[in-house]
Amino acid sequence: MHIPDGYLSPATCMVFGAVMIPIWATASRAVKKTLSARQVPYLAIGAAFSFVIMMFNLPIPGGSSGHAVGGVLVAILLGPWAACIAVTVALVIQALLFGDGGITAIGANCFNMAFVLPFVGYYVYKFISSGSPSGSRRRVIAAGTGAYAGICAAALFAGIEFGLQPILYHTANGQALYCPYGLKVAIPAMLFGHLLFIGWVEVIVTALVVKYLQKQDAVFFEGGRS
Amino acid sequence: MTNPAHKKHDFIGRSVLSALAFLKDATLSEEYANRKGFLQSLDPRFKTISFLLFLVTVVSLKSIVLISPFYLLCLILALLSGIPLRNFLLRTLFFIPLFSLFIVLPTLFSIVTPGEPVWSFHVVGITGIITRPGLDGAVLFVVRIATSVSLVVLLSVTTRHSELLKVLRVFGIPQLFVLTVSMCYRYLYLFATMVENIFTAVKSRVGVVSHQRQGQNVVAWNIANTWNRTTQMSEEVYMAMISRGYTGEPRLLSKFHATPKDWLWLLCAVVICASLFYRGHTL
Repeated sequence: MHIPDGYLSPATCMVFGAVMIPIWATASRAVKKTLSARQVPYLAIGAAFSFVIMMFNLPIPGGSSGHAVGGVLVAILLGPWAACIAVTVALVIQALLFGDGGITAIGANCFNMAFVLPFVGYYVYKFISSGSPSGSRRRVIAAGTGAYAGICAAALFAGIEFGLQPILYHTANGQALYCPYGLKVAIPAMLFGHLLFIGWVEVIVTALVVKYLQKQDAVFFEGGRS
Repeated sequence: MTNPAHKKHDFIGRSVLSALAFLKDATLSEEYANRKGFLQSLDPRFKTISFLLFLVTVVSLKSIVLISPFYLLCLILALLSGIPLRNFLLRTLFFIPLFSLFIVLPTLFSIVTPGEPVWSFHVVGITGIITRPGLDGAVLFVVRIATSVSLVVLLSVTTRHSELLKVLRVFGIPQLFVLTVSMCYRYLYLFATMVENIFTAVKSRVGVVSHQRQGQNVVAWNIANTWNRTTQMSEEVYMAMISRGYTGEPRLLSKFHATPKDWLWLLCAVVICASLFYRGHTL
């Protein structure tokens, strides 16, 4: 889902950069209110955790494998605003130091994976798990459902961003200047892989980790540490 | 000799080892940043600004003729900076540009992009026609991406990561955010090594994990365990920060010094970008 440089037009990149500025500002304010100075390293380590999660490959039928993003898991454990900052930090490091995901597309990538993904996932989790005990099975199901909803929503937005490119940016003879596929192709293409494969990887990782954390220390789910 | 069935299911080993190799490679890439070369001699602030200018210009240009000089510039800069061309090409042309080429392949054909036919062929009774607009669009897309990736890799491998993170302050990024990025980067390697140790411990006790469900449980348990350790480590890190004089306001030791060479480089970058940008709009 990482969008490299050159897939989106500069105008699209600027729009998403502009959209993300108030989101980052709100996230910083929200996190400063809820996290004490003692917990500053928590954010950094949360970001590193999110980065490392993306490196875990999960086996799937047929011997192949896929990896999760972990944004919803971080949102469940730290809260959605802290997850927004943690995933942003992970994405900035990936783009700046490892060349994974574009520098010009950082706003769009953060919008999809650091904003849409954790927020959609977190609120689906909250809705389903509302009123359930911290060690209940319903929380595991809620976490899995939230993860699935979060990653599919992020994929949908990425598909829309791709699909708008040939409509908005093309030459006089109709040749696409950036991502060449319209909405009718880009949205199903992005959703297909996530609904059928990557979404389920995210479900398995998030639900199983929540299940294990419930066994180890249920305090993680009593209102979150943030 | 490794059992092929075990090798196929040894996704844990493959996963962790490939992740570690990736991290080590990225860390070792500071090897080039420590070498003596043209890009290494530039002030990181000026270098970053010039590369961002190049990147924005490349993304904005709509002609292969105008983007290609930037790719040539990348190759020249790589040579002047002591980066072996083979390593540079391997790192920049594989994966993202190759993946992008795979993505745009269908747009070459008349069924997706109608237009003037350039070449047609017959395979098992099906006629494929490659069109001029399809070919032009695909080449523009891939060349732009290959050039963008080359620029980012050049900047990343010729600049010490700590300096690159300090440069974020030049762009007005809040110190707390830069500090978080900097700390996060330091923990990546530590975490990857910790995960590798956990996997080694699990394998040494239970042998090869050969069932899919069992494997999923092992991975999930490791992520949960990593998180538990994370929370414990957070407290220790905070105490270490306090003992080293952290007062709640992070300070960065910036020792950047701009020389006439840096200003001249920036001027050249502005002239190159402005002239190609202007040419792009008058074509």
